[in-house]
Amino acid sequence: MYCVNCGVKLADTEKKCPLCQTIVYHPDIVRKEEEHWYPQGKYPVEKGGSRFPLIFISVMFLISILVVLLLDWQLNQAIIWSGFVIGAVLTAYVILVLPVWFKKPNPVILAPCTFGTIGVYLLYINLASGGAWFLSFAFPVVGGIGLIVTAFIALLRYVRRGKLYIFGGTMIALGAFMLLVEFLMNYTFERSHFIGWSLYPLTILVLLGGMLIFLAINHPAREMMERKFFI
Amino acid sequence: MSLKKKKKQSQLWWRPLDNAAKIYPAARRKNWSNIYRFAVTLKEPVDESVLQSALDVTVRRFPLIAVRLRRGVFWYYLQQLSEAPKIREENSYPLVRMSRNEVRKCALRVIVYKHRIAIEMFHSITDGTGALVFLKSLLAEYLQQKHGIQIPNEQGVYDRLEEPGAEEFEDCFLKNAGSISASRKEKTAWQVYGTPEPGGFVNQTCFELPVRTVLEKAHEYGVSLTVFVCAVMMQALQNLQKERVPNRKYRKPIRVLLPVNLRPLFPSRTLRNFALYTTPEILPKLGEYSFAEICQVVKHHMGAEVTAKQMSMKIATNVNSERILFARVMPLFIKNIVMKAVYDSVGEKKSCLSLSNLGAVKLPEIMMPYVERFDVMLGLRATTPYNCGVLSFGDTLYINFVRNIKESELEYHFHCVLRDLGISAQVRSNSQDE
Repeated sequence: MYCVNCGVKLADTEKKCPLCQTIVYHPDIVRKEEEHWYPQGKYPVEKGGSRFPLIFISVMFLISILVVLLLDWQLNQAIIWSGFVIGAVLTAYVILVLPVWFKKPNPVILAPCTFGTIGVYLLYINLASGGAWFLSFAFPVVGGIGLIVTAFIALLRYVRRGKLYIFGGTMIALGAFMLLVEFLMNYTFERSHFIGWSLYPLTILVLLGGMLIFLAINHPAREMMERKFFI
Repeated sequence: MSLKKKKKQSQLWWRPLDNAAKIYPAARRKNWSNIYRFAVTLKEPVDESVLQSALDVTVRRFPLIAVRLRRGVFWYYLQQLSEAPKIREENSYPLVRMSRNEVRKCALRVIVYKHRIAIEMFHSITDGTGALVFLKSLLAEYLQQKHGIQIPNEQGVYDRLEEPGAEEFEDCFLKNAGSISASRKEKTAWQVYGTPEPGGFVNQTCFELPVRTVLEKAHEYGVSLTVFVCAVMMQALQNLQKERVPNRKYRKPIRVLLPVNLRPLFPSRTLRNFALYTTPEILPKLGEYSFAEICQVVKHHMGAEVTAKQMSMKIATNVNSERILFARVMPLFIKNIVMKAVYDSVGEKKSCLSLSNLGAVKLPEIMMPYVERFDVMLGLRATTPYNCGVLSFGDTLYINFVRNIKESELEYHFHCVLRDLGISAQVRSNSQDE
């Protein structure tokens, strides 16, 4: 049998031409079924890599926690400063090691987990140090940035088109977030009643974000920019 | 581990890697390791139990081919397997990635599918010549056990009951290194690119051509078969680049890496790696090359390069870096980092693909009625999508392409070049039914 498109002679096992992918068909020739050259649909089972390094790192984290805890208990007969260290170690573990446990870590799930952990750690510091800044400052700030980052990652991951809208929108949201941060700082720590420094990043981020959205809407402008700035 | 088992382990053969083999373990990565495959197809279905028994006998004869790769403090080394590996089932594609763990346990696979026996091995063990000797000897033992025939020890079939000779273990690179070393400097070559196949699938496409027609055509152009096939490949690459890069001034060099068996140049009976390479090239930005021109370029390049003097100079380059005391005492993990960086920067980017011609595979007359065909497949490279293995058996030349991208444009262009030269090929592949 020959390929009707590229003319190559095909082995009887071929259902389509391996060179041009044309389906093999001839109305007058009945093809005899030959054995396949390789088994069909038999793929190797991918085994996961060795977990030893991860287990080793996790054990090291655990040992450092235990050592700190023991030292603090021996010195003070109470948990005083070790709580801060343990919180920091656990937060570092969630950010650096936890994603590696998963074969295909999903950043849309990992990002809120990370910000959640940071929030809990800040809450502990607030309670342990007798502060009154968590609810009015740390919680909205961590929550706000967590929300923006998660939304950005989720949109990039699941929305196929409209990258310029996503980047532009995120920039504007970050600009507005700066305003919120300054307002919360002023409110919580009873500083100036006026909004000051946050106006600079707000202006720049809104301008940049607005420009990206303008380019997303305006096709000729986008083409012109591509022409001018291609690498 | 029990004391008895420990004692048994210490009695096993071991050898340091030869000079060429040292780069392969270092260059490995998560989804790539340098392996290749030889396959022999019989005229009858393979009897797995007989083959396992033949393998048990054969691995004892080749203690440094049936091996595993172990880590020392300063270097890797090969250690004989305490028992023959188990025969495996075929997958839908050849050259399935050999993980680090697998190489550590056994760096050799024996695979059976219907009429076919295939061996896949990590390149640190041996080169194509050594692998072919192992496969032929395994096949001879199998046929002897299955059909009770007496097979003479000739044409690369070794006596399975004799002790291996010391010359088979020799690291011939060290012995034949010249005093002057060659420069490794080469410009980056053009790379074929495409859509990666998901899940590590490897496409195999085999061109089957009548040897006599190809030889006649090669002689018409005044070149050998290797030069001719290389020229066809370079012509196909040139046509593909012309299609993908219309502007001539942006075209990059077309360079094919041709492995050179050093045994004819430096007489040796080693069964370890003893091959180097040469890289003929054309520069399409200078203008289009005709097929006759490419034949002449490759012929003269090989004539000038494939000589004992030139090769000893190339060997010296590799051996000298190994001889530096500072490099020798450097811990293995640091060596790995350096060698991987060297491999990534000068290893693969300098040529479009490798094209290895194992030549005419010959067997003792008595084995011929049982054998249908032989195939050789080079493992894929880490960063470029194609490789090509060539051999002839009987009246047929088998050219096996492997690729890990979806597009088969290079094979198509290869076919077009052959067609224009008046050579008809039959094509066979491992494509899956949809």
